[in-house]
Amino acid sequence: MITKSLRWWTFLALVLSFSLAQQGRFQGVSINVLTFTGPQIAEPLRRHAAAFERATGARVNVTVVPFSDLYQQILTDATTGTNSYDAWIFAPQWMADFAPAGIMEDLTARVRADTAIQWNDIAPFFREFSAMYGGKILTIPLDGDFQVVYYRTDVLRQLGLQPPRTWDEYLNIAQRAHGRDMNGDGRPDFGSCIAKKRNAQSYWMFMSILGGYVQSQGTRQGAFFDTRNMQPLVKNQAFAEALRVYRETTRFGPPDELNLDVGDTRGLFTSGRCALSIDWGDIGPLSIDPQTSKVKDLVGAVILPGSRRVLDRNTGNLVSCTPQLCPHAINGVNHAPYAAFGGWSGGINAKASAPKKDAAYALFSYMSQPAQANKDVTIGITGFNPYRISQFRDIQNWVAAGFSEAGARNYLGAIQQSLNSPNMVLDLRIPKAQQYQQVVLDRVLSEYLAGQLTIAQAQEQIHNGWEEITNAEGRQKQLQAYLASLGIGAR
Amino acid sequence: MRRNRSPLAPSPLQVGLSYLALGLASLFVLFPLYWLLITSFKLPIDVNSGPFYLPWLDFKPSLHAWEYVLGTLGPDVRRAYANTAVVALSSALLALFLGASAAYALTRFQYRPRVGAVVLFVACLGFVVLMAALGVPWQVAVGLGLAVFILGLQTLGRRFRRHLSNDDIALWLISNRILPPVVVVIPIYLLFQQLGLLDTRTALVISYTVINVPIAVWLMRDYFQNIPPDIEECAQIDGASRYRIFWTIVLPLAAPGLVATFLLLLVFAWNEYLLALFLSKANSQTMPLMVAAMSGTRGTEWWYMSVIIILMILPVVLLALVLERYIERGLIVGAVKG
Amino acid sequence: MGERVQSKQAEAVPRREGVWVRLVAWLERQAPAFFLLPTVLVILAFVLFPLVGSLYSSLSRLRFSDGGLELSFVGLANYRKVLLGSEQVHFLGQPGATGWVVGVMGLLVLGVGLVVYRRYRAGRPVWVWLGQPLLGGLLLLGFAWLFLSRLWPGTHMGTLQTTLFYVLVGTALQYLLGLGLALLCAERLPGTRFFRVLFILPLAITPIGVAYMFRMLTDTGKGPLVPLWEALGLGGFSWVNDPWGARLAVLIGDVWQWTPFAFIVLLAALQSVPQEQVEAAAVDGASRWQIFRHIIFPYLLPASATLVLIRLIEGFKIVDLPNILTNGGPGTATESITLHAYFAWRTLDIGTAAALGFLLLLLVSLATSLYAAWVLPRARGQV
Repeated sequence: MITKSLRWWTFLALVLSFSLAQQGRFQGVSINVLTFTGPQIAEPLRRHAAAFERATGARVNVTVVPFSDLYQQILTDATTGTNSYDAWIFAPQWMADFAPAGIMEDLTARVRADTAIQWNDIAPFFREFSAMYGGKILTIPLDGDFQVVYYRTDVLRQLGLQPPRTWDEYLNIAQRAHGRDMNGDGRPDFGSCIAKKRNAQSYWMFMSILGGYVQSQGTRQGAFFDTRNMQPLVKNQAFAEALRVYRETTRFGPPDELNLDVGDTRGLFTSGRCALSIDWGDIGPLSIDPQTSKVKDLVGAVILPGSRRVLDRNTGNLVSCTPQLCPHAINGVNHAPYAAFGGWSGGINAKASAPKKDAAYALFSYMSQPAQANKDVTIGITGFNPYRISQFRDIQNWVAAGFSEAGARNYLGAIQQSLNSPNMVLDLRIPKAQQYQQVVLDRVLSEYLAGQLTIAQAQEQIHNGWEEITNAEGRQKQLQAYLASLGIGAR
Repeated sequence: MRRNRSPLAPSPLQVGLSYLALGLASLFVLFPLYWLLITSFKLPIDVNSGPFYLPWLDFKPSLHAWEYVLGTLGPDVRRAYANTAVVALSSALLALFLGASAAYALTRFQYRPRVGAVVLFVACLGFVVLMAALGVPWQVAVGLGLAVFILGLQTLGRRFRRHLSNDDIALWLISNRILPPVVVVIPIYLLFQQLGLLDTRTALVISYTVINVPIAVWLMRDYFQNIPPDIEECAQIDGASRYRIFWTIVLPLAAPGLVATFLLLLVFAWNEYLLALFLSKANSQTMPLMVAAMSGTRGTEWWYMSVIIILMILPVVLLALVLERYIERGLIVGAVKG
Repeated sequence: MGERVQSKQAEAVPRREGVWVRLVAWLERQAPAFFLLPTVLVILAFVLFPLVGSLYSSLSRLRFSDGGLELSFVGLANYRKVLLGSEQVHFLGQPGATGWVVGVMGLLVLGVGLVVYRRYRAGRPVWVWLGQPLLGGLLLLGFAWLFLSRLWPGTHMGTLQTTLFYVLVGTALQYLLGLGLALLCAERLPGTRFFRVLFILPLAITPIGVAYMFRMLTDTGKGPLVPLWEALGLGGFSWVNDPWGARLAVLIGDVWQWTPFAFIVLLAALQSVPQEQVEAAAVDGASRWQIFRHIIFPYLLPASATLVLIRLIEGFKIVDLPNILTNGGPGTATESITLHAYFAWRTLDIGTAAALGFLLLLLVSLATSLYAAWVLPRARGQV
C-alpha cells in the first residue's frame, strides 16, 4: 500500500516539476511558422500550437500560403534576408535546394539530446533518408508519404480477381471493371482513376509505375539516373514499357482523366466511381469519413505493383528477373514502392534567433511525439499519414477512429510493406529537382498522354531536357548530389 | 395614347427580341453563379458523386461549408476581408484621382517634351540607380543625378528638336502594364523589402495604385474628350482657376465615366492575386489568397471555395447597385443644357 | 521633366500685385505640370527598378549558394534557349509545310502590294511607304505566318500562337458581346437596371475564382453539363482532352469574365451620345442600323479603341484561367506565354521566366505601336 501510494506521489511530483519547468520555458518567445493553407497540416499545427502555447508560454503565429506557392515563398523570404519566418512545414524533397542555400538549421544535436521525440520509433526510411541531407538531420518528420494502389474489395470479389501484383494485372482488372456500375447510381463507372493533370501529381504517378521496372537492386541503385555517370535512365525499354502502361490506364479511366488532380481522383474513388487508384496514404482515412465516402469498408490497399522483367542497365533491355537481378522480388515480382514527395516535415530557419530556434524545435518535437502524432494519423483531416513504428503496431488506435479491424490491418499492411521494402524508390532530391520533374518530365508526359508525342519522342525529349539541366548545373556536382541523396558517399 | 410613341420606341417584336437576348445573356452569366451558390451548400460527397441541381430535391443542403469558413476560418476570413476592402477602396480612389487629373491634363493641355530631354532623364535615372546599387548613399546619388540632368538639359537638351506628343505620353503610361507581373514580382518584393513595407496594406495600396493608374488615365481621357470645352472656357473667362474648373465642373460632368472607372479600378484591386501573394504574409493577406488557398494537397475544396467566392462578390454587387444609377443616361446632356 | 508646356487657352488670369495673387497665378501657369506630374512620378518611382531588375535577371541564371541566392550573368543564354534551344518548340510551335499557308501568305503579300500600288497611282510618294507602314506590314505578315503555319493538323502550336489565339478571338468576342449588351441596356426597357448590375457581376469574381468555377462547370464526370453531353452523344468525350476543346473552354471562361469590362465602358460611353441627334435622325426616317452606324457608333469609337487596346494588353497576360482550368494541358495546348513563364518561375528558373516576359514585352509593344499608329488616330478622328 505505502509503496504504491509513494510511487504515485513520486510520479505526481515528477509530473508537476516537469510541467512547472515547462511552464514559461519560452515565455515571451514568439515564433512564426509557415505552411500551406488547408484544413490538413494547418489544422493539426494550429491545434498543437495552442496546446504548446499554454504549456510553454511561447507565442506561435501560423501563416499559411497556397500549397503551390509554398516553395517559392520559403526561398524568397529566406534567401533575400527578409527572414519573416522562423520555421516551416514543407516537403523534404525541397531540401536539395534549401540545404545548399544555407537556410536550414542543423537539428542533429537537438534530436540526439531529445528523448521525448522517440527518434528510433520513427520508421528507418524517414529518419535516415527523409529527414537527413548530407549526413545531418535537417527536418523533423510529421507525416509519411509513399504511394500504394487502392482497390475496391467488393468489385474484385465480384470479378473473382486478386489485388494486382504486376502492372499487367492492374490493367487487366481495370479493363474488366471499366464500365460497371460500382456505386449503385445506374451509371457506368471507371476501371482506374489516376491523377494525370499537368503540373499536378502526374509525374509521381508515372514514377510509381516506372519504379518496378527500373530499380531492382535496392534503394541505393536509384531510379532516375545512372549512378556512374548521371546519364538519365530514360532511353531504355523499361521507361518505354512504363510509358505504355501509363497510357493504357487512360483507356479505363474517366473521360477527363488528363485533367484530374489527386483531389479529383480521391473524390471519385471515395464516391465509389473507381475500381482502382494510385495514391498516397490519404484514401484510407478518407474512405471512413461519412462526409466524403460511399465506400466505407470496401477499400483495400496493396503495395505498388511491380514487374517480372526489369531493366538491365548495361544493355537498356528488359530482362526476366533472376535471384541475382531481383534480390528483393516477392514471388518473382520486383516491387519498388515509391516514396513520392517524402512526407511533410518541420524545418527551422538557420537565421532565427537561438530562443526562437529552441521554441520551434520544441514545437515540432511535441507534434511528432507519439502522444500527439499517433492520434493525428488516424484523422483524415490532418493530412498526416503513418510514419512511426508504433503507429503500425497499435491497431486499436485506428479502430477507434472508425476503421474496421480488417480494414486497418489491410491499409497499414500495404503501407508497412512498402515502408519496409529494401527496394524503395527515393524521390529525386538534387538541386533543380523541380526543373527535372515539373518542367521537363511533367510537360513531356502530358504531351505524350495527349497524343502529341510518340513513346520514342517522349523518351528523347526527357533525355535531352534532363541532360541540358545537368550540363548547365555541372555534371559532377549533380552526380555528387544524387549519390548523397541515395546515401552513398555521405556516410 | 400608344400612338403617341416617339419614333424611336421599339416595336413589340423588337422588345421581345431584346428581352430574349438579355435573357440568354443572363442565363450565361447566372448559371455559373447558381452552380457556385448550390455548391456552397453541398456536402463533399454530393459534389463528387455526380451533378445535382436542386437543393432538397436532388441533395440535402448542408451548412457545413459556411460554418467552417465563418466559424473555424472566421478570424482569417474577417481579417482578409477587411484588408481587401481597405486596400481596394483606397487604391481605387487614389488611382482614380491621379488618373482623372492626368487624363484631364492630357486632353486639355498640349505637352511637348523633347525626345532628348526624356532620353537624358532616363539616362540620369539609370545613373542614380547604378550609383545607389554601387553603394553611394541615395541622397548623394539623387543630388548628383539631378545636377547632371539640369546641366545636360542646358547644353545637350537644346540640340534636339524632336518632340513627343500627348499620345506618346499616354502610350507610355499604358505600356507599363505590358510586362506580366510574374516577371517583375521578385524585384518588386525586393523594393518593398528595402522600404520596410512588406506585409503591410500600404505596400498593396501603392502597387495597385501604380498598376491601375494607366487604366484610369485611358478610360477617363475618353470621357473628358466628349465633354465640350466651351463651358470651361466660359468659367475661365469668369476667372475660375484650372483646379476649380476641374473639381467643380469637369468631374461632375464626367460622373458616369468616373463611376464606371471607379468600379473597374475597384474590382481590379479587389481581385488581384500575385502581388498580394508576394507582398503580404500574415497580416495583410487578401481574399483572393483565401480563394486560392482552398485548393491544397487534398484537392480543391469546392464547397469552401464557393463560400469564399460568394463572400467576395457580395460587397461588389452592393456597390454596383448603389453606383449603377450614376451611370444613367442624361446626366451629361442635362448638365450641358442646364 | 523639362517639358515645355503650353496651355491651349491664353492665360486668363490678369497679373495683380501681392504674394498670394502671384502664387495663385504661378499655380495656374503650372497647372499642366501639377495635373500630370504626380502620375508620371508615381509610375516612374515604382516601375523603373522592377523593370531594370527583371531585365538583368533575364540575362542571368539563379543558383543557391551558401547563405542565399546568387545571380550569375549568362548573357543571352536564356533567350537562346527559348528561341533556338530546347524551349523553341514549346514557345514557337512546330510549323507544317502546308500549301495553303503559302497561299494565304501570298494573298496577304499581294494585298499589301496592291495598297502600295494604289497609293502610288494616287500620286503619293512611295518612299513614305518604305518607313513605318512597310515595317508594320512586314511585322503583320510575320505574325500572320507564325500563327497560320501552326494551325494545320500535324503541326504544333507553341505558347506564342495559343496566346495570340486567346487575345485575338477573345478580344473580338468580348467587344462584340459587350457592345450588344450595352446597346440593349441603354434602351429604356423596364428592368434594364437589373441587367446592368447583373452583367457587371462576372468582373467581381477574382480571376482565380472564375477559373475554378469553370473547372467545376467543364468537369465531364460530375459537372452540371454532363446530362447535356450525354444527350448529345458525347458521353465519353471530354473537351479538356482535346486541344481545341480545351482552348475553347479557356476562351469561354475569358469571355465570361471580361465581357463585362467592355460592357461597362461602352455603357458609360453611350451616355455621351446626344439624344436629340438620335431623335432627329429617327424623325427623318433613318433605320436603326443607320442611326447606330452614323450617329451612335462614332461616339463610341474613342472608348472602343481604348477598350480594345487595354484588353489587348491585358489579354496577352492571360494566366489564371489556363493554369487552373487545364494547367496548360492537354500537352501544352492551352498554355499561354505568361503561363509558360510562370511554370519556369515556379521552379525558380527566373532567367527563363524573365526572358519569356521580355519577349512578350517586345511582342506586345510592337502590336501596341502598330495599333497606336494605325487604329487609334482614326478612331479618335485625328486622321
